[in-house]
Amino acid sequence: MRFQDAARDARAVVYAGIQADPLVARVAALLENATSAERLMARAAMNGERTDPDTWRRIFPALFGDRPGDGDRPGDERRRHAELVLAASLEVAERGEAARSQYRGAVVEELTARLLARRAALDATVRRERRVLFDGVRAEIHPYDVTVESAERPEVYDCKWGARGINADVLNQLDDAREHAADEDVDLRAAIVVFDGRRTCELRLARATAKHDRTRLVALESLDELREAKN
Amino acid sequence: MVPWSRAGRYATGVNELHEVVERAVAAYDALADLAETVEDEWQYVTDLVDAYMPGIRSLAAADPGRFLTVAQVAAVDEAIAEIGLIADPHKAIDWLSTFPHVVGLALGGDVDRPAGPAGDGSLGAGSEAAAAATSGSEPAEPDEDSPFRMLRGGR
Repeated sequence: MRFQDAARDARAVVYAGIQADPLVARVAALLENATSAERLMARAAMNGERTDPDTWRRIFPALFGDRPGDGDRPGDERRRHAELVLAASLEVAERGEAARSQYRGAVVEELTARLLARRAALDATVRRERRVLFDGVRAEIHPYDVTVESAERPEVYDCKWGARGINADVLNQLDDAREHAADEDVDLRAAIVVFDGRRTCELRLARATAKHDRTRLVALESLDELREAKN
Repeated sequence: MVPWSRAGRYATGVNELHEVVERAVAAYDALADLAETVEDEWQYVTDLVDAYMPGIRSLAAADPGRFLTVAQVAAVDEAIAEIGLIADPHKAIDWLSTFPHVVGLALGGDVDRPAGPAGDGSLGAGSEAAAAATSGSEPAEPDEDSPFRMLRGGR
């Protein structure tokens, strides 16, 4: 089994431009250090109809009012962070309906890569847009959004903005990769990261006929699990 | 900005929580009607509504006599106004997942764990709390994944 850069078609080249937009990195960096409530606000604002910040401050008063601090940050610092998350999310929304969906997808991928890279004892490389090749198996067309490339414990991640992106193709590809790796005695971890509520993802998965019982789900509320290596 | 209303300016008493939740329920119902027009996703839309509608309703059942702050009422009404602007049924599907959590966060409840008489009959967070009150034990912690719980102190 080995990882390989994906060949870029025209669509991938266009998408690479979005992935490289500094806005994507800025939103992902803010979400990396966000609370789940801030991530929920980001999801709502990036998918909203209105882009004036006052509207969103009213919808999420707990993030902007007299907010108590926590162990790490005082209240005013948490409010400032929420403001930054909101402003960046609205910048994505202001890109327009056609572009924002691509930006949102790129944000989830970047966020996933950043969280994985923060593992304390990571002895592997986190890469983007990579394929996995197996002996005697025809290569998959679509690359994995994020990979953790380790000889001991490789991982592949597919990233989705919403649970509706969970479909048979995605689940089959992840499970096939895991099975092919097992044929080569490699313990490949396959996961799907969804910037949506866990319960919603579980509803989607409950109707899925594709095999997914060995595929890990990382939903919006549990994104911080990506920082932790799973045994 | 949501229109001026008495409910939007003052905490008006015991019935206010129920009224706010009913407005959210009606808005969610309308959102589902729009989402249902995507025929390929009818089952998914139905599953979402079946899962989250009891969760929204349960927000009125948990501590029903409590007063809401002006900001809480405005938050729900503003979220209702937001989904009322949606015309794209695909976006409506996306919001069927988001809206319940936004309302839950505003009202300080957990839509993932319906509780009380408006819930789905399962042992949700509210009934656990009630059971704990009679037994003298501590109520069970809400789901670790709950955004509301995260807001109260965790990530």
